[in-house]
Amino acid sequence: MEFALILELSVNGIFIGLMYALVAAGLVLIYKTSGIANLAQGALAMMGAYVVWAISAQLGAPMWLAIPLGLIVMFGAGLLTERLALRRMIGQPVIMVIMLTIGIEIMLRGVLPGIFGAAVKKLDVGIPNDPLFIGDILINRATMIGGLISLALVALSIAFFNSRLGLMMRAVSDDQMASWSVGIRVDRAVAIAWGLSATMATTAGILWGSTQGVDWSLSLLLIKALAIAILGGLDSIPGVLLAGVLIGLAESLATGLLDPLVGGGTRDVVASVIILLTLLLRPHGLFGREHIERV
Amino acid sequence: MSLLVLNNVEVVYDSVFLAVKGVSLEVPKAGLVALLGANGAGKSTVLKSISGLLAAERGLVTRGQVTFDGEDMRVLDPPARVRRGLVHVLEGRHVFGHLTPEENLIAATSMHPDRAKVKRMVEEMFTHFPRLAERAKAQAGYLSGGEQQMLAIARALMTEPKLILLDEPSLGLAPFLVDEIFDIVRRINAVSGVAILLVEQNAVAALDLVETAYLIDQGRIVMSGTAAALAANPDIQDAYLGGAQKVDYHAVKHYRRRKRWLA
Ligand SMILES: Nc1ncnc2c1ncn2[C@@H]1O[C@H](COP(=O)(O)OP(=O)(O)OP(=O)(O)O)[C@@H](O)[C@H]1O
Ligand SMILES: [Mg+2]
Repeated sequence: MEFALILELSVNGIFIGLMYALVAAGLVLIYKTSGIANLAQGALAMMGAYVVWAISAQLGAPMWLAIPLGLIVMFGAGLLTERLALRRMIGQPVIMVIMLTIGIEIMLRGVLPGIFGAAVKKLDVGIPNDPLFIGDILINRATMIGGLISLALVALSIAFFNSRLGLMMRAVSDDQMASWSVGIRVDRAVAIAWGLSATMATTAGILWGSTQGVDWSLSLLLIKALAIAILGGLDSIPGVLLAGVLIGLAESLATGLLDPLVGGGTRDVVASVIILLTLLLRPHGLFGREHIERV
Repeated sequence: MSLLVLNNVEVVYDSVFLAVKGVSLEVPKAGLVALLGANGAGKSTVLKSISGLLAAERGLVTRGQVTFDGEDMRVLDPPARVRRGLVHVLEGRHVFGHLTPEENLIAATSMHPDRAKVKRMVEEMFTHFPRLAERAKAQAGYLSGGEQQMLAIARALMTEPKLILLDEPSLGLAPFLVDEIFDIVRRINAVSGVAILLVEQNAVAALDLVETAYLIDQGRIVMSGTAAALAANPDIQDAYLGGAQKVDYHAVKHYRRRKRWLA
């Protein structure tokens, strides 16, 4: 029975971790092209969920239409954020740029519930909620489907970085000046990264929103995403995948095994402990690239 | 008419610092021209005014014309200038350190939609630069200085330029490597007819290579003419060709860098 419990916690933890990894992959996408950590990533996930909810519940569109529309709107929102806010900061110290993304996070977190009302919105995308039994263990069907969709999207973004456009984005992340000098449209590459990142955040927002409802708390996904991106190495998508699984596992096991002993609350501690330990012990993360120093 | 014409170009950094004070120069089609001068004379700044990369450093051409192939360049951003056939190989090479040499080459082909052509060009580069082919799968950041310089030049060639702006290719290289790089430059110019504007502190080697040269000092062109005429000029002999007391400009450069850092 103990073994079955651990197995069950592990399997569900892995799926949850994959869903976190999707948010983190968006962080990495932006970091890889423009070298900044976008701390508004959680708020973008929340915004994406609100937008899809609004299109379906307020405008009455069916879900199969609301989701692609929401993704397109959020791609545009990502482009706009870059064009209107981030591009003005070119040449400013990195810390200022990161502050700006925090500002965007706080603003969205206040404004969106303000517009749509603070009550939790129900977002039904048609994923059945009844559990799935495999032998003894019980799997949450919604997290399983969410995890698999996330896995597919993260795999897609790995493939993207190996394409020609992705290659140019990696060049931009290495050296913007050199990229410019050989004809790469650096501003366009960065804008596309923001657009793609916002659509990934939106997908995550929809998946999470459909399991826990849509409200401001979706923006807290940022903390998990940060933990994963830091553990995986801020610029490695495969790293994010592995780190996502590890953190999902750790959280699920901590919640299942420790909570009964200490009386709850371990879930949210796990991510912060992992952020701290990684930064102290292995600042580049598991897969982060090292700075090449040649003299 | 010449391929590249600079007419009375003035460059200001940060809206206050006048780094280039009215430079005029020409590079003919398929020409090989040097721009010589000491540290801080404004050589790199002139090249950046031509490629447009000044914009990344808060620099601005405040006066004068930059005309390439009969077209005004000042209104175009750097990627557009690259598409006209004007490419800049930056001082210090600036290879994409985390990409392989092959990926470095492909990254410079955003203007070529035809994938088969890109593949052909990469293979061609590897036959011209066998040393890069040997290291094709290594991270470019770990290549030697000479290999990185070759990669930077090969990467620029991928854009199919009419003119290469080459900033101090000899920087930090052993003498035999300088010869090798200069041979490559000569070959590119002679075989493919690509014009080259070469910036150098190594005046001896440069004057040996080019047809004509300009000498820049404190943001102004102070002398110009055929390479032979410049090499024979007693002032140049003294200051740049190390007539009596040989000056090691790479050592000077290090000293200046340190000074800037401390200041
Ligand atoms: N980004 C910048 N901002 C402000 N001033 C600059 C900048 N780049 C260069 N300068 C200044 O402009 C002048 C010309 O610099 P430039 O780099 O063009 O010289 P250079 O001839 O290429 O020298 P070197 O041989 O050291 O490369 C110098 O006084 C330098 O300090
Ligand atoms: Mg220079």
